Amino acid sequence: MLKFTIRRILWTIPVILLVILMTFVMMRMIKGNPFRTTERAVPEAIQRNLERKFHLDQPAYKQYLFYVKGVFTLDLGPSLVLRSQTVNDIIKQHFPVSIHLGVMALLFAIVLGIPLGILAALKQNSPLDYASMGIANLGFSIPSFLVATLLIYFFAVKWKDVTGLPTNGWGGPETWVLPVIALGIYPMTYFARLVRGSMLETLQQDYVRTAKAKGLRWRVVVGKHVLRNSLIPAVTATGPLLGYLITGSFIIEYIFGIPGIGKYYVTAVTGRDYSVVMGITVLLSVIIIVANLVVDIVYVYLDPRTRDERT
Amino acid sequence: MRKGLRWPLWAGALVAIGIIVVGSAAGAPDQRAQNLRVIIASEPPSLDPGTATDTTSSNIIQALNEPLVEFGPAPGLKAVPAAAQSWTVNGPRVTITLRNDLRWTNGQRVTARDYVYSWLRTISPEVASDYAYQFFGIKGAEAYNACKENCAALRSQVGISAPNARTIRVQLTGPQAWFIQQLNHTSFIPVHRATVEKFGDKWTEPGNIVTFGPFRLASWAHDANLVVVKNTRWRKASSVRLNRITFTIITDGATAENAYSAGNADVSETDLPGALVPKWQKNPEYKTFGTIGTYYYGFNTKNIPDVNQRRAMAMAIDRKAIIKHVTLGGQFPAKGFTPNRAPGAKEINKNATMPATAKLAQAKALMAKVRNPKRNISLYFNTSTGHAAIATAVQAFWRELGITTTLKNMEFGQYLQFLGPPPNSDVDVYRLGWIYDYPDAYNGFELWTCDSGNNNTNWCNRKYDAIVKKAAATPNEDARFKLYQQAETILTGPTGQLPIMPIYWYVFHSLAKPYVVGYNVDLTDRTDYTKVSLR
Repeated sequence: MLKFTIRRILWTIPVILLVILMTFVMMRMIKGNPFRTTERAVPEAIQRNLERKFHLDQPAYKQYLFYVKGVFTLDLGPSLVLRSQTVNDIIKQHFPVSIHLGVMALLFAIVLGIPLGILAALKQNSPLDYASMGIANLGFSIPSFLVATLLIYFFAVKWKDVTGLPTNGWGGPETWVLPVIALGIYPMTYFARLVRGSMLETLQQDYVRTAKAKGLRWRVVVGKHVLRNSLIPAVTATGPLLGYLITGSFIIEYIFGIPGIGKYYVTAVTGRDYSVVMGITVLLSVIIIVANLVVDIVYVYLDPRTRDERT
Repeated sequence: MRKGLRWPLWAGALVAIGIIVVGSAAGAPDQRAQNLRVIIASEPPSLDPGTATDTTSSNIIQALNEPLVEFGPAPGLKAVPAAAQSWTVNGPRVTITLRNDLRWTNGQRVTARDYVYSWLRTISPEVASDYAYQFFGIKGAEAYNACKENCAALRSQVGISAPNARTIRVQLTGPQAWFIQQLNHTSFIPVHRATVEKFGDKWTEPGNIVTFGPFRLASWAHDANLVVVKNTRWRKASSVRLNRITFTIITDGATAENAYSAGNADVSETDLPGALVPKWQKNPEYKTFGTIGTYYYGFNTKNIPDVNQRRAMAMAIDRKAIIKHVTLGGQFPAKGFTPNRAPGAKEINKNATMPATAKLAQAKALMAKVRNPKRNISLYFNTSTGHAAIATAVQAFWRELGITTTLKNMEFGQYLQFLGPPPNSDVDVYRLGWIYDYPDAYNGFELWTCDSGNNNTNWCNRKYDAIVKKAAATPNEDARFKLYQQAETILTGPTGQLPIMPIYWYVFHSLAKPYVVGYNVDLTDRTDYTKVSLR
């Protein structure tokens, strides 16, 4: 187990180098001048000064090495657009907000989605099943920005005297409700459908029939045998879903005016803020890699069949 | 359903309902306490007058500080003393006398040496300020800004000095009639030297920042909100009604409108999404403010060399229809390139011929005169539903002339680079806008000179350049406006060359609650919060 973990951790280094390289190349390929934010052309001398200040006048390979050094010394450089802030500042201030939002949305998705899926599977083909899956499919297909704007309009404007919810911002618990729901609906429906499908399959298995035949109480059969095996796909999905939640939170952060990292990320790309883009890409890559690693380790405990391969 | 599975669902639902019910009420207008809540569209990239380039930052910097001059009433917009008590202009020599009651928030006096330090800092190549070019009218500034080594020598030759604590002496490259008005710009606001040297890039963070205007920075939660409070040390503090202004950053237009409608803000400066404009158009809370700026299409005069075709294309457009049905913003149909709010605009545009409604018969007659008309035009603009809508309308107008227009759009950063310089040969017509840096028509005319980095038209007219250059050196307003008239006539007059085709003159919009008194956005997109109060 330990060897497996260490090997995986060592593999992250070449992966991160590759991520930096690809991001670097792509940012250069989309062209655009980071210092020209309006229609006003930047006078040549000023353009030169700015390029010199941010090392953009160096040859490409030198800039790349510079970034790599920065990543491994954890100094991600200054922002090209936000002159009083460094990338480290931006990450320190805004990343916790995105994590908070992402984790809460994930919990919302788990707490509501998994029981919904289990229920639908146990009561298969009942009105409850159809209703749950109907809601799930609806939530799956409606884009999150539409959900977000509708939630704001109805719960924070039209019915605000009843709910007392704010339209935007991130602070006390009342500001968490709508964004968490908006962000969490898609993963919730994803879990619901996934767990339902997986549980239906498990319920067909021979060992379930055997357990019932042995006279075990239904609750024990489901709780001890069926659930554990049905939840494996859900656990596997959690890793990349966490990645989606943190990166895909951009739309929700944008609409609700939440000062998270997602909004900065996209603004940095359109603004050609190279260091911010690089820094956040590396950060998100590390998170996704770690999340996948954790999932793989948990997987080993959940499914003993993989134990021998992995260890 | 087994009990074991039922209760988590109910618990979850109860918790959710609990949070909703217990949630505190959204903010109510804090009127008696004179706390204004404003929604702005983006995080100010910088509160440093030396490096700020956008209007969001400028607005806040201006609230925290005081410019040397303010603008007098329209239409003249003559400079009126603010932080400067008086000034004298002797050709290229300008002498500014400061007031003696200017104080930083730490109690120290603001002196002429602060100005000299700050201006040299903004011009310096190390700070790499985007707006350094605002100072290029000063002798030696451009050379210092462009220097690569031994800069100290060039720095000492820049024509800015402070013979005493209250006097700033400026040596310009030549007489510049608008220089005093230009001093209103944010880049001329001074910074506190000791603070900048101590904290470096972080000097604008709350707790570090030192300013000298009617408000001071109380807090700044990046990308979320900024709070400024009244500076009781300011010389006219007794006339300032507001105690606190909270700027909340909401980029999404629909959310900003929702927040404003729900009463969570008193003013919203974030643009309304197009679909919501009809809802607010007739509402008195939807305010329209004039500005000095032009929305125009530029021609690639190499691809469309016959001026008759260019004039035909300009005449065929129904500007009023575009404003009434497409932009819906109450903009002004542009008669010439110089916007109507620029000082002297009426006289300058006297011979301009851009029609407000389509002159189709005339346009067709002009098209008939063209020997080799270009019938396949590619029209470029940066991606936006607004620009696309206008381009589609223009496409329909030009079809009447037998012209097939292909619309091409791209992302803003790529678009700007794509246009040039040098001008891209694929482009026949391109869309851009120009918001003036200061209220003088020169700022617009210099765009179309041969050397301008903003001229993507391949049009170069030495006579035009000469007139514009002469105007720069003409301090007398009447004489200068006559020269501007000549320049405008070369652009858009009856025999004008039409390297560009203006479409409309910009306006700005805000939403403001009826209990907000004195809220106004001036021609440079700034609000003077010392005049605002809550009823």
